[in-house]
Amino acid sequence: MIANSVPLEPLLAIRNVSKSFATPNGPYTVLEDVNLAVRQGEFVCVIGHSGCGKTTLLNMVAGFTTPSSGEVLLRSKPIARPGPDRMVVFQGYALLPWLSAFENIYLAVDAVWPTKSRSEKTTIVQTNLARVGLSDAAEKKPAQLSGGMKQRVAIARALSIQPEVLILDEPFGALDAITKEELQEQLLQIWNTSRATVLMITHDIDEALFLADRLVMMTNGPAAHIGEVMTIPFARPRNRTRIMEDPRYYDLRNHALDFLYRRFAHQSD
Amino acid sequence: MSVFLEVEQIDKVFSLPGGGNYIALKGVELTVRQGEFVSLIGHSGCGKSTLLNIVAGLDRPSTGRVALAGRPVLGPGPDRMVVFQNYSLLPWLTVRENIALAVDEVYTDKSKKEREEIVRSHIQLVGLTPAADKKPAQLSGGMKQRVAIARALSIRPELLLLDEPFGALDALTRGNLQEQLMRICEETGATCMMVTHDVDEALLLSDRIVMLTNGPQSRIGQILEVPFERPRTRLEVVNHPNYYSLRSEMLYFLGQQKRIKQLRSRQKGPIARHGLEKVNLEVGYLPLTACAPLVVAKEKGFFNRHGLEEVTLVREPSWRAVVDGVAGGYIDAAQMPAGMPLWFTLGGHEDKPLPVVTSLTLSRNGNAVTLGKKFLDLGVFSQADLKAYLQRTARDRHTFGLVHPASMHNLLLRHWLATGGIHPDRDVDLTTLPPAQMIANLKVGNIDGFCIGEPWNIRAAAEGIGFTVATDLEIWPGHPGKVLGVREDWAQTYPNTHLALIKALIQACLYCAEEANAEEIRGLLCRDEYLGADPAYVQLGEGESNTCALGKDRLQYAHHLFAGAGVNRPSRTEQLWILTQMARWGDVPFPRNWVEVIERVCRVQAFSTASRELGLEVDYRRGPIRLADGTPFDADDPLGYLKALEIKSDVYIAEVPLPASLAAR
Amino acid sequence: MTTTLEGRRQSPVQQLVAALPDAKSLQKLAAPVVAIGVFLLLWQLLTLSPDATLPGPAKVVSETWGLIVDPFFRGSGTNQGLFWQIAASLQRVALGFSLAAAVGIVVGILIGANALIYSALDPLFQVLRTIPPLAWLPISLAAIQQSEPAAIFVIFITAIWPVIINTAVGVQQIPQDYNNVARVLQLSRPKYFFKVLLPAALPYIFTGLKIGIGLSWLAIVAAEMLIGGVGIGFFIWDAYNSAKVSEIVLALVYVGLVGLLLDKLVGFIGRLVAPTER
Repeated sequence: MIANSVPLEPLLAIRNVSKSFATPNGPYTVLEDVNLAVRQGEFVCVIGHSGCGKTTLLNMVAGFTTPSSGEVLLRSKPIARPGPDRMVVFQGYALLPWLSAFENIYLAVDAVWPTKSRSEKTTIVQTNLARVGLSDAAEKKPAQLSGGMKQRVAIARALSIQPEVLILDEPFGALDAITKEELQEQLLQIWNTSRATVLMITHDIDEALFLADRLVMMTNGPAAHIGEVMTIPFARPRNRTRIMEDPRYYDLRNHALDFLYRRFAHQSD
Repeated sequence: MSVFLEVEQIDKVFSLPGGGNYIALKGVELTVRQGEFVSLIGHSGCGKSTLLNIVAGLDRPSTGRVALAGRPVLGPGPDRMVVFQNYSLLPWLTVRENIALAVDEVYTDKSKKEREEIVRSHIQLVGLTPAADKKPAQLSGGMKQRVAIARALSIRPELLLLDEPFGALDALTRGNLQEQLMRICEETGATCMMVTHDVDEALLLSDRIVMLTNGPQSRIGQILEVPFERPRTRLEVVNHPNYYSLRSEMLYFLGQQKRIKQLRSRQKGPIARHGLEKVNLEVGYLPLTACAPLVVAKEKGFFNRHGLEEVTLVREPSWRAVVDGVAGGYIDAAQMPAGMPLWFTLGGHEDKPLPVVTSLTLSRNGNAVTLGKKFLDLGVFSQADLKAYLQRTARDRHTFGLVHPASMHNLLLRHWLATGGIHPDRDVDLTTLPPAQMIANLKVGNIDGFCIGEPWNIRAAAEGIGFTVATDLEIWPGHPGKVLGVREDWAQTYPNTHLALIKALIQACLYCAEEANAEEIRGLLCRDEYLGADPAYVQLGEGESNTCALGKDRLQYAHHLFAGAGVNRPSRTEQLWILTQMARWGDVPFPRNWVEVIERVCRVQAFSTASRELGLEVDYRRGPIRLADGTPFDADDPLGYLKALEIKSDVYIAEVPLPASLAAR
Repeated sequence: MTTTLEGRRQSPVQQLVAALPDAKSLQKLAAPVVAIGVFLLLWQLLTLSPDATLPGPAKVVSETWGLIVDPFFRGSGTNQGLFWQIAASLQRVALGFSLAAAVGIVVGILIGANALIYSALDPLFQVLRTIPPLAWLPISLAAIQQSEPAAIFVIFITAIWPVIINTAVGVQQIPQDYNNVARVLQLSRPKYFFKVLLPAALPYIFTGLKIGIGLSWLAIVAAEMLIGGVGIGFFIWDAYNSAKVSEIVLALVYVGLVGLLLDKLVGFIGRLVAPTER
């Protein structure tokens, strides 16, 4: 499905990355020797117990921190700082509460394309609000929106600036089961049209199996690394019911459960 | 075991600020045994927390009563400790002090030393000894919840109530805490009631899962028994043969609630047009090859041609969903297994006879018995081989999957087994699974085989998971497979619509039977909104088949029959055979008034009228049923036939009073 | 519920009952009224004895009736109606507090945005903010040598610390998520200031302003007692010197009410400017 123009060089390359922090008890190694290559248009989920350094990994891709050793490359160039080419959708939505849904997105569009005319920018905002089905809520402030709607605004904001890599930090963790499923479906639908490269952290195996092309399973910290990468073979566009009918679904699910609850079960929590 | 907690006929009514009332709970009745773990699950707003609060004594029911060990619950007390989602620990006290606060309050008669020991042992129980002197702010969410659980348990409550205890934690932390809670409950033998919305959590922890319907007026929709042995571990549980079928049962329930809510919000009345009483129909079907006539009628415009301009085909996940849709009146008509109208009429659904009629057989054949691949390696190719194998391995559990008690698959599989001298209730276990999950279960070895409609047998063979051991040809060639079923009251309210539906589907059946159309129909069926299957798995009536590609002797495949001499006409004799089989296995009594029952279900007249209006010749030939085993079936003496059968369950005969029909009233 | 059905008119009593607020809001309204009543009654009872040093409420009202009914009285020198006394005090507060707010917010943002400056200056501020308002008066008089600006300086120096400290905290408390968004989007500095920093810190700034206005009012009453001239503080001092205890009591009531109003006013402006509660 993405065969038409796959460059040899991966879009995003994480090479021999380690990260340690200084603590009063000496350096603490969060990640050790992490290697991952993400192709353009790929949807990759990262799963692991808390403290496995997946957020650190994501922060390095976003540019909030830099690796202690190794390198994180986007189109072969090292990532040094945050930028709109790697937009993040935060778990806590990170919408500015004093701005309406429209203004929140407009702020992003305006920051990335300051030279575009006001009407052009307005059109971009409206298009993206419509994509997440929130045209009617454009003038509402975040406090007037439900959790699911807030996350949709955050996704619309991220998509509106057309990032090369879309980074999602456990975007649906705080939502109830039904809203979560609806949003997953909507995200997939949008992704099908935009085919951005997605890196997403999740705690939910079913979510990963539904969304991702590959599931990266992290071992436990300290010195966490990638334990296994599972390729998820379901054809796209995906349909939840069809996936549940697929015998491979249960294999994959049990395999991931085995990884997380037996081979790398978390002890302290 | 004796009843421990009794919830009797609870109603809970809240008065709304703008006047008026909101009925949150209606007629909730539940008993919990000592040491049992019960989960309450449902969508948000279903009143599950309200119910828990009523049991805790934090809230009072509007009517009804709650009793714990025979004493009425009037207010909160230490015999019913509650663990809340937000931990509710005192931030200025350490772990030890938080627990000691509760222990000192309750055990006033114990010495200081004894109380300290209780606190210590409970901190140890939740594995927090190293953190005993930390304040809550220094603990992670999961650790805080463990403190809350330790505190709750330290005062030995008779009942532990948990209100979404892990809701605020991430999925993986939640998983670890669930296992800990399970271990603690097993060690202490605590009786627990937990509110959750997590399906996997409920299955792992519970002995029973109480599923609540959506509010307003929430009630208990279904109670699921969780049969996993204790002590449990997560991986053992998820690998249990029944795990995914129970899970899908719950997902189905929750999905159904959601769907009912949506239907309620867009319920529209019948739209009458073209002299038809209703042209907006919702027709249920299952994604099987046999649904071809419905898909063709819709896609090739046969519905439209007969004035049914607003037909929606509703893809259902299981026959159970079809049953709920028909019983609940959410769907107008449905593709049904041939035995389902009888099963409905005789009270198969919730023991309430609901007359359902059929005037059209949509397809014949298309079923087969598949065995797992290991049987191929063992050389099991017949009933005799299977019987020998079962005798060799009598200690093991042998399970076969079927899709619904009322389905032909159930009756055919049982008949096939019984013909080979295998008693389907004593020598093997039969379990109900949605069609879509058969292959997955066969693959992991949860079931040894199944009897199901296509494309699942072909798919099992094509994916190398199982092989076809018997087709319709080995059981009953040309048996009725799927029929069109509607409620009798529906057929009487919308007679012209019913007739138009039959006419459209007869034409669709004829279209399906044309070999020249096979390729086109395959294309339609494989579309994502219908089967969404690989076209290679979809075989219609055409030539050579690879059904049994795994078998050393390729069995001849019994082609689907969609039209032809006597194919579509409903047959009383066939329905009677189905009736004898249902009675044979004790699903329903054999009705003393069987003539009346068959007449009510099998409406040949509507079929004849439809055929005549279409200018088709109706084939009125009648003949005896020819089963593959050679047993004759005499339509005049069904009881004699039943008596002559060697392998059967307890057959009982009773008068089944049917509800009066609309026309008679 | 209160609509009348045709043909079945309600009796006047029923209509009256229906028009009354329901029991709960009535109770809410009545509670403080009753409390004040009980307080006045107790006060009256305690001052009934002939050798009481303070007047009872009835006596206060009768002795100060002239002041109560004519707040706009204009006399010579410090002999002015209570309105003018309070207005004079408020004028000083307005000047001193505005200066404190302007300087405090700017300084607060500056030190809040820079961790190093903050850690350098914070201990100093913590010490300075604990100095009682009146303690500043002698040094400001010594430095400025004029009573009017000295009084304003006292207000300024009293009100500025909570404004600085709360603003700084507000800036530091901006959720990391918002800053991360700004960093990813590479927002320009002015845009970051106006779209993220200022709105995020506003609730904190207004908390500081609310504390500041309370302290200013506190300071001015005390300062005026020492400086003299027209103003509610000196009015109290003057009344004390002339042994008009009832006038003191009346002035205290006014001081309390004006303080409350000032607090509510800042709160109201705060809600207007930063309406979203996080």
